[in-house]
Amino acid sequence: MTRLFLNRALAMVAVLFGLAVAVFVLQVVIPTDPARAMVGSNAPEEVVAQARADLGYDQPIPAQFAAYLGRITRGDLQHSLHTHNPVSDDLGRFAPATIELGFYAALIAGALGLGLGLLLVGGGLVGRVARVVLVGWAAVPAFLTGMLLIVVFYSWLHVLPGSGRVDDDLLLPDGPTGLLTVDALLTGQFALLGNLISHLVLPAVTLALLPAVAIARTLHASLEQVMGEDYIRTARSKGLRERTVLLRHALRNAAGPTLTMAGLLVGLMLGGVVVVEQIFSWPGLGLYVTQSIAYSDFPAITGTTLALGAAYVVINFWVDVAQAVADPRLRSA
Amino acid sequence: MKPPAPILDVRDLRVTFSGRGGRINALRGMSLQIQPGEVVGLVGESGSGKSVLGLTALGLLAAASDPQVTGSVQLDGFEMVGASPEGARQRRGTAIGAVFQDPMGSLNPVMKIGRQVAESAGGASDEEVAAMLEATGIRGPAAVARCFPHELSGGMRQRVMIAMALARHPKLIIADEPTTALDVTVQAKVLDLLATTARERGVALLLVTHDLGVAARICDRIAVAYAGRIVEQGTTEEILDGPRHPYALGLLASRPRLDGAVRGGLLPTLPGSAPDPTSSVVGCAFASRCPAADGACLTPVPEAHEDGRLVACHHPGELTTWPDRAAQVIKAAVAESAADGLAARKAGDPRTPAVVATGLVREFDGRRSGMLGRRGPALRAVGGIDLTVPAGGSVAIVGESGSGKSTLLRMIVGLLEPTEGTVRLAPGPSPQMVFQDAGASLTPWMSVGEHLAERLAAVGMPKREHAAAIDRALHAVGLPVDAAARRPAQLSGGQRQRAAIARAIVVPPPLIACDEPVSALDVSLAAQVLNLLCDLRQQLGLALLFVTHDLAAARAVADEVVVMQGGLVIERAPTDQLFTAPSHDYTRELIAAVPEAVAA
Repeated sequence: MTRLFLNRALAMVAVLFGLAVAVFVLQVVIPTDPARAMVGSNAPEEVVAQARADLGYDQPIPAQFAAYLGRITRGDLQHSLHTHNPVSDDLGRFAPATIELGFYAALIAGALGLGLGLLLVGGGLVGRVARVVLVGWAAVPAFLTGMLLIVVFYSWLHVLPGSGRVDDDLLLPDGPTGLLTVDALLTGQFALLGNLISHLVLPAVTLALLPAVAIARTLHASLEQVMGEDYIRTARSKGLRERTVLLRHALRNAAGPTLTMAGLLVGLMLGGVVVVEQIFSWPGLGLYVTQSIAYSDFPAITGTTLALGAAYVVINFWVDVAQAVADPRLRSA
Repeated sequence: MKPPAPILDVRDLRVTFSGRGGRINALRGMSLQIQPGEVVGLVGESGSGKSVLGLTALGLLAAASDPQVTGSVQLDGFEMVGASPEGARQRRGTAIGAVFQDPMGSLNPVMKIGRQVAESAGGASDEEVAAMLEATGIRGPAAVARCFPHELSGGMRQRVMIAMALARHPKLIIADEPTTALDVTVQAKVLDLLATTARERGVALLLVTHDLGVAARICDRIAVAYAGRIVEQGTTEEILDGPRHPYALGLLASRPRLDGAVRGGLLPTLPGSAPDPTSSVVGCAFASRCPAADGACLTPVPEAHEDGRLVACHHPGELTTWPDRAAQVIKAAVAESAADGLAARKAGDPRTPAVVATGLVREFDGRRSGMLGRRGPALRAVGGIDLTVPAGGSVAIVGESGSGKSTLLRMIVGLLEPTEGTVRLAPGPSPQMVFQDAGASLTPWMSVGEHLAERLAAVGMPKREHAAAIDRALHAVGLPVDAAARRPAQLSGGQRQRAAIARAIVVPPPLIACDEPVSALDVSLAAQVLNLLCDLRQQLGLALLFVTHDLAAARAVADEVVVMQGGLVIERAPTDQLFTAPSHDYTRELIAAVPEAVAA
C-alpha cells in the first residue's frame, strides 16, 4: 500500500511537469504578444521592447523555459497584467469560493449518483421514471440549466437567491479558511451560514447534475454486471437478504469503474465551474479567468490553468488511492 | 420400518427459461430423491439440466431468464417451488449449503476470507471461523482468515467454499462441478474432503458433475441425466458394472480410460447431438442417437421403472457394448479426403523429426511493482528441456498448472521466444495450434471459410482453388460443407473445435500443437475430437504435440508421454510403459489421482 502510494505520487509529479510544459508551449505558440498586452496597444515601440526585456520574453526559448520552471516551483506566477497583483495572491483570493462551490457540488453529485444508481438497480417504476428524467436533464447544457433554475427558484418562487455568495447587506465571516460556510460555522454565525447555503444551492446543483447522472449510470452498469457474478450467487446461497447482498457484496465490487468515472468527471466540473460562476456571478476562479481572457492577461490565465490542472491531478491521485482501498487486488500492483 | 423422509425430494420437476429461439426446456420432468446422509452423483453433459436442478433447489434461478417452474422440490419437507422469496431465503440460510465450480469467482474478491465465512454462519467469532476453516484441512486458519481470495490457491479457495457451505450445519450440500477447475491431485483431495466431511457429519451431498469418474470416486448412488430427465439411477457399482440405459452406456464407453483399453482414434463416441432444448420431445429423447432404438421408442416418453434399479428406457439392458459406429464414420470420411489428395501434401521427409528442441529455458521477468519498484526475481517457468517429436509421431506433455507445460509448447511453436536453447522445426508450413477454448480462438465476425481462406492465402494458393481446399478440410474434420459460411457463434462447442482443427490442417503442417484441446468439451464430444486428431495424424502424416492435464486423454493419443513439474521433466517414457510402470513418485501420484469410472 505504501509503495502504491509512492508510485502514484511519483506519477502525479510527472503529470504535473507535463502540464507545466503544455502551458508553457501554449504561451509560446499563441500569437498574442504579452508585452504589448501589458503596455497597451498604443505604446511606442521602445516601451514595448523594454517591457519585453523586463518580462524576459527577449530571451531564447530554452532560457525562458528554465526561468519559467524556476518561477513556478517557487510559487511565483508573475504579476497579473490587469489587476497588477501577483497572480498567486489573486488565486488565493478567488480559489476559496471555487473550492467551496466545487466541494458542495461534488458532495451532491456523489450522493445523488449513488442514490440514483442503487435506485436503478432495484428496477421498478420510480427508478425508470427517474432515469428518463435525469438522462434527459443531463443532456441540457449547464448554462441553460442554470438559467432555468434561476428563473424558477429566484424569479418566480423567490425561495433562493440567484447570484453571489452571500447577501450584500451581510458581513462576511473573518475566518481562517476562506471557505465561508466553514468560517461561519467556526465563528458560530448560524444565520449567516443559512444565507451562505441558500446561495450555494443553485450553482452547486447546476454543476453537480451532469456528473451525478454520469456516476449513476456508471454505477448502475457495473452493479448490473456485478449482480450476475458467481460470488453474488454465493452470497445469496448463504441466505442473505437481497439488500445485504447489494450493499455489502455488490456495491464495493462495483466501486472501481465508478471511481474512475468520478475522477474523469472532476475535469468536467472544473470546466463547468467557469460557466456556472459566470451565470451565478460567483466570485471564484472561473470569473477571474474569464475576465483575464478578455484582457489577454497571460500570467493570470496560465496561473489559473496550472492551478486547475494541479487540482485535477491531485484529486485523481486520491481517486487512485480510494480504488486501492476498495479493491485489495490493486494494492500489490 | 418406514424409510426416513428424503432430505431432497424432487418430483416431476419441469423448468423452462426464455431464450433467443423460444422457451428453453431445461428440465423435462426430473425426479430424484436423496435420503439424509446420502452421497449422490448427478451426472450429465451440458444441456442435461443437471445444474438447473441444484439452482432450483436453492431457489436461485436467475430471474432475468424468466424461469417457469412446475412440479415439486421438497427440501427437508419445505416446498421450494412457488415458495415466497423470504421463505426460500431462510431455507437457503439454514437447510442447504452450496459449493460452486469456480472457486475464484465464487468468493467475493474484496472481502476477507474470515468475514465471508463468518457471514455464512450468520455471525461467528474469529476462533469459530478458524475452527471451521481448520475442519476443511486448512493449515494456519487464523492467517488464512485474514487473506483475500486472490491470495489463496484454487484448492484452498474451494476448501473455504466447503467451510462456508458447512457453516450452518445444513442437512444437504449441493456441490456443482466443485473440482472441475482444479488440478488433478488437488481435485482428488477436495473430493475426498467433501465426501468425508459429509459422511462424518451425516450431511447429504448432491454432487453435480459431467464426469462419471468424479462421481464414481465418492458417491453411493449415481443418477444419469439426459435432456432434462433422469435416464438411469442406481448404486455406483451397478452403473459402472453395466449401465442398462444406452445413454449411460455410451457415456461410460466414450470416456478415455487410464488403462489404455482404447487407443489410437478408436474411442467409441455418441453420434448426433442432444435434442433441441426449445422443442418438445415426443417419445424417448435419446432415440435419435440410440443404436437400440426402434419404433416403440418414438411415441411414449419412457417412464422410469424398476429394473433392479430405475431405468427410463423402452429396451433396458438390451445394449451391452457400445458400437464403434461414429469412429468408423469419421475414419471413412478421412480416408476419402485423403484419397482426394490432401495426403499428397504429406509434410516433410518422414525421417526429419517434426521438431527438435534443445536446452529450452524460459524465464519470465519478475513483476515490477510500479514505477519505483524493483523487479522481483526472475521466474524460471521452463528450466532446460530437450524434446523431440518424430515426424508423424505423437507426444503428450502432462502436468499440473504451473508445471510449465504450456510455456514449453508455446516456445516450440514460436509464440514465445526461449530465453535459452533452440527449436528446429521440419521444413514446411509453420506448426499450427489448437487451443482449449475454440470459441475464443476463432474471430467472432469471420466465417469458418474466411478463417480457412486466410491460411490458404498465406501460403499463396490462388483464390479459385480456395473453395475446393476448404471443402476438403471441412470434410476431413467431419463438418458439413455449409459450415464454411457460418460464424463461430452459429456452431456448437464441438463444431467450433472441429473448425479450429480444420484451420490447422487446411494447409497440412508437419506439427499440430494442442493445448488442452478437449478439456472444455463434454465427454462424448471430447472422444470425437481425440479420435479426429488421431485419424488426421495417420491420414495426413502430421505429428501431434499434446499438452494436457488429463492423463487418460494423453494415454488415448500419445506414443510418448512427458511428465512435467516445476518447469522440469520428471519422467518421460513410451505411453504404455509410463502408465503400467511409472518410475517416479510424482507420476504415480498423478495417475492415482485420476478419477476412474471403473467398477472396483
